[in-house]
Amino acid sequence: MKLSACRLAEQIAAILRKDFLIGIRRRATFAAMMFFALTTVACLSLSMGGVSLAPNFSAALLWLVIFFAACAGISGTFDDEANSGTLTTLKLYADIQAILFGKMIYVFLSLIMLAIFIVPIFVILFDVDVTSGGVLIATIFLGLIGLSAAGTLTAAITVSATVKGGLFSILLFPITLPIFLPAIALTETALTGTGFDADLLIVMTIFDAILITASSILFDYLD
Amino acid sequence: MRRTLDAIEQGKNSVTSEILFDNICLNFGKRKLFVDVTLKLRGGKIIGITGANGVGKSTLLKLAGRIIKPDGGAVTLPINATIAAVSPEMKIYDGLTAVENLKFFAKLRGKSLGADEIISLGERVGLDTKTFGDTCAENFSTGMRQRLKFMILLSVDADIWLLDEPTANLDDDGRQKFFVQMQAAKHDKIILLATNDSAEVDICDEVIRLPIG
Repeated sequence: MKLSACRLAEQIAAILRKDFLIGIRRRATFAAMMFFALTTVACLSLSMGGVSLAPNFSAALLWLVIFFAACAGISGTFDDEANSGTLTTLKLYADIQAILFGKMIYVFLSLIMLAIFIVPIFVILFDVDVTSGGVLIATIFLGLIGLSAAGTLTAAITVSATVKGGLFSILLFPITLPIFLPAIALTETALTGTGFDADLLIVMTIFDAILITASSILFDYLD
Repeated sequence: MRRTLDAIEQGKNSVTSEILFDNICLNFGKRKLFVDVTLKLRGGKIIGITGANGVGKSTLLKLAGRIIKPDGGAVTLPINATIAAVSPEMKIYDGLTAVENLKFFAKLRGKSLGADEIISLGERVGLDTKTFGDTCAENFSTGMRQRLKFMILLSVDADIWLLDEPTANLDDDGRQKFFVQMQAAKHDKIILLATNDSAEVDICDEVIRLPIG
């Protein structure tokens, strides 16, 4: 049965609210992402011994930290529901697209919180100069949209696999690579203040749209 | 093998809706559970589905609920029919309170429940929401969880009820309350009840026994 846009939005909001309530009470997902990111950044910073990194290296490192921290959190998006037996109930009561977009928005907002937490720490510990804050914010915003869309779909695909953890990262990396490459280039631009290429933002926007659309189409075929 | 089981004609006050299993084939690995099964289940009564363990009682409900898809054939439901279920496999959210669970599932079906409505639902199934409404479901006993599932079932007011051993883990009071609710609701719904429990079978208006093999 096809739902109206209004009813779909209501279901998405209900699923989002439910996930935040459980996420805040359990804290496991947030804690896993934050601690992974914090530990990685702190260890790398200490091992560098105060040496300044080249902007391109800093940019790549920041996105690597975000990617692996996100993996720690996103992989459980459907796993927790499947393990607790609530995924079947959810599928019966909610439209499948509402489940996808509810989860996707939840993942996106979780990643935004991760970025708000880790980017300032990264900037301070690695003594990085952010020359163009606007470009950095736009890049992180678009990058996290793509990561959320790809991550949510990958989490749904791997939910019935026996080796979820490894498989999740292996599948997610090639899907998100077209987002990460321009994201790294734009982050480098934000740090150096030179060589800004607006086309890269357009490329990221297009890939985000493709990932969201593909997730929506493919999700209907997942059991 | 072709099996045709028609759940006879409608009851006096029943709805005209029906669930049609049309030439259903379903395999689990090499095992053929259903081969060209055609089954017409009409609303307005409680239809019991019984049979030995493993004959496919729960699977039939999952097919009706579109939780699983058949390998062949089609399951046709009434247009725009909504489904609700009580089944051991369908869990509620442990991390949410009873009221939050209730409001969440009702919201998914476009219903906003008021405080009075929640209290009334609690009374119908024998769950004191004034005392336990703000308790997380993880702290509930199995029987209380089952009562909460009934509250959700009643709150969403679906057209089709899929019930898989619904009164398992309930005390006598809980069972009686549930039977009363089923009898009251059956006239405008399609109620499928998969069970081997004699008390549950007794309240069915019609019983289909699935054969082995």
